Amino acid sequence: MNSVLPLMAGIQLDWFSLPQQLVNGLVVGSIYALIALGYTMVYGVLRLINFAHGEVFMLGGYTALLTSYAMGYSPDALRKAFAEGRDVTSSPLNLVIMLLVAMAVCAIIGAIIEYFAYRPMRNQSRIAALITAIGVSLFLQYAGQLFLPSNPPPSVSQDVNPYQAVYTKVFSEAVIGEGGKVIRPAVEVTITQGRVIMLITVVVLMAVLTYLVMYTKTGRAMRAASHDFDSASLMGVNVNRVVTATFMLGSALAGAGAMMLTTFEGTTLQPFFGVLPGVKAFVAAVLGGIGNIPGAVLGGLVMGLAETLVTWLGYSQYKDAVAFVILILVLLVKPGGLLGSNKVEKV
Amino acid sequence: MKNGLLQIAACALAVGSLSFFAGCKDPSAKGGEGGTTTGTSGSGGGASASGDTIKIGLVASLNGEQRPWGVDCEAGAQLAVKLFNEAGGVDGKMVELKVEDSNSKPEEGKSATEKLVGDGVIVVIGEVASGITQQMKTVALEAKIPLVAVGATNPDITKDGQGLISRVCYTDDLQGPVMAKFAFDKGLRRVAVMTDKKLPYSTGLSKTFVARFKELGGQIVAEESYQAGESNFGGQLTRVKATNPDGIFMSGYFNEVGPMARQIRQAGMNDVVLMGGDGWDSAELISNGGDAIVGGFFCNHYNDQEDRPEVQKFLTDFKANNNGNLPGTTMGALGYDATALVLDALKRLAAADKEINSANLAAEIMATEGFKAVSGDITLKGTNGDPAKRALVVEVRKDGFVFNKAYEPSEVLAK
Repeated sequence: MNSVLPLMAGIQLDWFSLPQQLVNGLVVGSIYALIALGYTMVYGVLRLINFAHGEVFMLGGYTALLTSYAMGYSPDALRKAFAEGRDVTSSPLNLVIMLLVAMAVCAIIGAIIEYFAYRPMRNQSRIAALITAIGVSLFLQYAGQLFLPSNPPPSVSQDVNPYQAVYTKVFSEAVIGEGGKVIRPAVEVTITQGRVIMLITVVVLMAVLTYLVMYTKTGRAMRAASHDFDSASLMGVNVNRVVTATFMLGSALAGAGAMMLTTFEGTTLQPFFGVLPGVKAFVAAVLGGIGNIPGAVLGGLVMGLAETLVTWLGYSQYKDAVAFVILILVLLVKPGGLLGSNKVEKV
Repeated sequence: MKNGLLQIAACALAVGSLSFFAGCKDPSAKGGEGGTTTGTSGSGGGASASGDTIKIGLVASLNGEQRPWGVDCEAGAQLAVKLFNEAGGVDGKMVELKVEDSNSKPEEGKSATEKLVGDGVIVVIGEVASGITQQMKTVALEAKIPLVAVGATNPDITKDGQGLISRVCYTDDLQGPVMAKFAFDKGLRRVAVMTDKKLPYSTGLSKTFVARFKELGGQIVAEESYQAGESNFGGQLTRVKATNPDGIFMSGYFNEVGPMARQIRQAGMNDVVLMGGDGWDSAELISNGGDAIVGGFFCNHYNDQEDRPEVQKFLTDFKANNNGNLPGTTMGALGYDATALVLDALKRLAAADKEINSANLAAEIMATEGFKAVSGDITLKGTNGDPAKRALVVEVRKDGFVFNKAYEPSEVLAK
């Protein structure tokens, strides 16, 4: 405890900016939650950690980028339009197309990965499947270096995003003294229209997912396979179809997350783009209890908030370390995760 | 398999961090403690020129994140060699430029240098990034071959260089203070600093900026860090905003600066002046920063609108040899300068009838005095390899970078 004290001494709690930081954390966390759902659903059904999920996320970002290029928002086309003084105002329809294409392409990629890489490993030991997943992940990263535009790292043009407006709610104005000295900072919350739409989309996607899992035949089959894979197959559940559907659903969610991150936040893309969010979302899934769908959402939000709060405390240099600290703590204290069951597995 | 989940998670953690490092942009290479090098040619006096041509080497980032710089750097170097050979070479002997790709990675820059040394080059030119140059330096010192860095601005590069290591650019000891003085002269008094903690370049530049700005009487109201590859800076920017800055100094590379500038404007900091170093220098900055980055200022090595004869001649020659295209970044000019400086030293060596080998060339490079380079006059005589050069501040416009102000080292570094 003593070694922690000097670290704590530097902390100056800035209560005025807390509301804004909570909103920031919610935005970051909602994307983690979307990716974490893919990890947790696959684990639930197959007991496999799909390490290639971060790469599916990366491919979703590239799909969104290339779709925007195809719609006339490539750097060359925009430069030309700028030179000719042409209007390049985008419409929400463009974003809907990008979202749907990214989700569809990711769903197909997810299904292909499952069919070619994981299905042959279904009856092998779990560690073999895990290594396969790592192999697929590395394969996609390095194949991406060969075939995807990354020199220099491209980004989705902000001209394609019509939601540039910023909403600000001021609770109390800042008091500024002589020479710009801050006597009391403002209490306010600022959020871009793009982020609002992102949050709404995340909620809608999760509602759709809940409906699919709880109220459809495929969803019931999914839950059955998750409960007991072998018995489900004996009871006439087409487990191959269930597994494919699970991969497609999880991958589509990652695709949606990637599209929104690249479009609304303007992230630059490169073939390793999925690694960091992938690792953090995986931690989020474990944190919430891997295999548990509400747990993944909760875990994602907790991760996003934890990261932002570390920054709030003034330790932005430790922002990424917090993910791993949380993972270690969870594994030590509650290996099953926040919402997971702590059941002992039979050998 | 009682602890199945635990085991799997441990595996995951190991693998996660593995591929995490593989994805690193520029693992810091502080101090150049790369260890010993093997496979370099012999020991002692380095390589000497034999055969029909004189071989010189260039390491450039022809792939990876720094490709815009690497491609320009190579084109500049090729141009210098071509003009030199057309003018008769060294007493009729042609110079051959050997180019190796560092793939924007320090460790690959190191192996590229080793390969060049094995190929028998007598001098190595490169790199643009400080992290890569640090690794190349270890090889050059081992093989006793002179190294002329192109755009590496970290002050440590020429430290303990044994008379072998030099550069044609200014250092962060100048660049940071230039921007500090510029900010202060512009009337800014409350500046926040954003640092990419993974880049030695960025951390070094932030340090020199902060020190000088405080000395001048300004106030650093916030220092926040991020890391290359990150995309959401909301947490850090909220803290910055609460301190009511009138300027933000962003010392990282253009890849993150563009999106960050947009988020700064989105957070409601509309009148804050954005500033940075030569890491901003790429047309990509304007495309990924959009309108948010327009009106920002950064420190650069030269500007193609200067009317000095060297600049205009370089641009005409470059266009004539590159299908009418101009270099997209300053590194075209710096790559040209580094190569031309080496060739000039070779010529002086031949004129003095000395043997053409690495040791003599290194001494001759260090004896350079008043060399008329595109990026300003370069004098290495009496220095440890860092030329005292002027620096420019340029403004970002929607259609390019426009010259704003020039600073001589004496104006900036004097108390």
